[in-house]
Amino acid sequence: MSHTLTLSEEYRDCLQEVTNVAMGQAADRLARLLDTFVVLSIPHIEILSPADIAMALNSIDGSDCVSGVCQGFIGGGIAGEAILLFNDTSFADLARLLKYDHELDQQAERELLMDTTNVLFGACLRGIAEQIDMTFSFGPPMVLGQHQRLEDLFTPRSATWQQALVTEINYKLEGYNVNCDLLLILTEDSIDLLCKKLDYLLS
Amino acid sequence: MTTAPKEFLNEFHWLMDVLHNIDVGLVVLDLDMRVKLWNGFMQNHSAKASTDVLDKSIFDLFPELPEAWFRRKLQAVTMLHNAAFTTWEQRPYLFRFKNYRPVTGIAEHMYQNCTILPLTDANGQVAHICLIVYDVTEVAVNRMQLQKANAQLHQISRTDGLTGLLNRKTWEQSLRNEFKRFQRYHHACSLIMFDIDHFKRINDNYGHPAGDEVIRRTASILQSGLRESDVAGRYGGEEFAVILVDTDAAGAMVVAERLRTRIEASSVTYEKNIINYTVSLGIAELTAKITDPTMWIDTADRGLYNAKRAGRNQSVIYHT
Repeated sequence: MSHTLTLSEEYRDCLQEVTNVAMGQAADRLARLLDTFVVLSIPHIEILSPADIAMALNSIDGSDCVSGVCQGFIGGGIAGEAILLFNDTSFADLARLLKYDHELDQQAERELLMDTTNVLFGACLRGIAEQIDMTFSFGPPMVLGQHQRLEDLFTPRSATWQQALVTEINYKLEGYNVNCDLLLILTEDSIDLLCKKLDYLLS
Repeated sequence: MTTAPKEFLNEFHWLMDVLHNIDVGLVVLDLDMRVKLWNGFMQNHSAKASTDVLDKSIFDLFPELPEAWFRRKLQAVTMLHNAAFTTWEQRPYLFRFKNYRPVTGIAEHMYQNCTILPLTDANGQVAHICLIVYDVTEVAVNRMQLQKANAQLHQISRTDGLTGLLNRKTWEQSLRNEFKRFQRYHHACSLIMFDIDHFKRINDNYGHPAGDEVIRRTASILQSGLRESDVAGRYGGEEFAVILVDTDAAGAMVVAERLRTRIEASSVTYEKNIINYTVSLGIAELTAKITDPTMWIDTADRGLYNAKRAGRNQSVIYHT
């Protein structure tokens, strides 16, 4: 590692506020779409290395079986990936939530994962992009893996980057046993640009 | 003043040209699901001209489109003002189109990724929906072939080439697993080890290809008589092994005798020679006295040794 990036307290607070607002808007839209109340955690923001992320993930959920979906986004020099991790106990409730009445085979679960991801990522990223006055292009979401151990979904050793800005948000849906974690990971070279964008909000 | 509209018209013209000719499917729908734009890609692949589809319901035009699912997607797009995606892994296609390469391609239809975008009007309200259809047949076919190859490699690494039974390494893994299960649950479990009597004589008299045929036949008789839970493997040259789950020694004896008599009654014809042969079998039920998987094999092997010594073509239980 050539140098270690840090994020000043000021920027961190600002980014947390931006994420909070975006999440609030997202939660409101989600509540209307899904007809249920969305409980969000306060976003946790940190600059992490791949190994740190793996560790952070492990502290989220010690369970052996999770499913994950990722989606890349890029725009105006800011690039990153959103990763959504579901506890495997969530599937039956996810199906109920999205009004799925088919049998839950591997294919249906994949579809559920993708649909939920679409809804959660979209709602959140759009809110953030709007506030910092940007628009992002999105790649198609990819299923990272189904019913696997966390360390099989994300292997830090094969990562090609050294550090990244990670925002972690936990979602819970009232009345449903759905518990998932959203990680917004911005690449190292995006951080400078993001801070410039945040400067407009701070000034 | 008069040049500006003309310039605008020109620009509009070539923009439309691009939309029309781009090799990606573009469809615009209004909120009643009526088609408002249908570009060249969609026209060519669906064999439906713009005039055939404009202002008609997409569900009437394409009954294969899963309406409930599609409407749910569109609802999310209009409510969240955000793009939705479907990939070929999730749903192979939205519109059933022919593969772009009908001659050299191997896919029956086009695999598609789709992006569904909300289009806002001047007031910021979502009034239309845009579908972008990408042809990802090549990617999908490559991925599926890779998965198939991996599955084949996995299969090859686990099985014995001549007989298709589990190879020794994989079978021994099953044996260790079964042994662990026994230590936890103490259900009855038996092991049969058997080999072909005077196999060397078959090889010497009829040649090695004949010997191979005898091994193959033995494996096929063995496999046809097993339950799904039984685990059969080729242990060595002419030696075979079967784990019988939930089976005590008496039950294993029934299985062994059935196998022995079927092999005795069958014959292998190789280059006009009719080869009759027999097998000897040793049986060991797992008990608390057997302390590791190797000892379990040894015990069954002792049964097999006793069967040989008693004149071959028989099954012997070795009691621990």
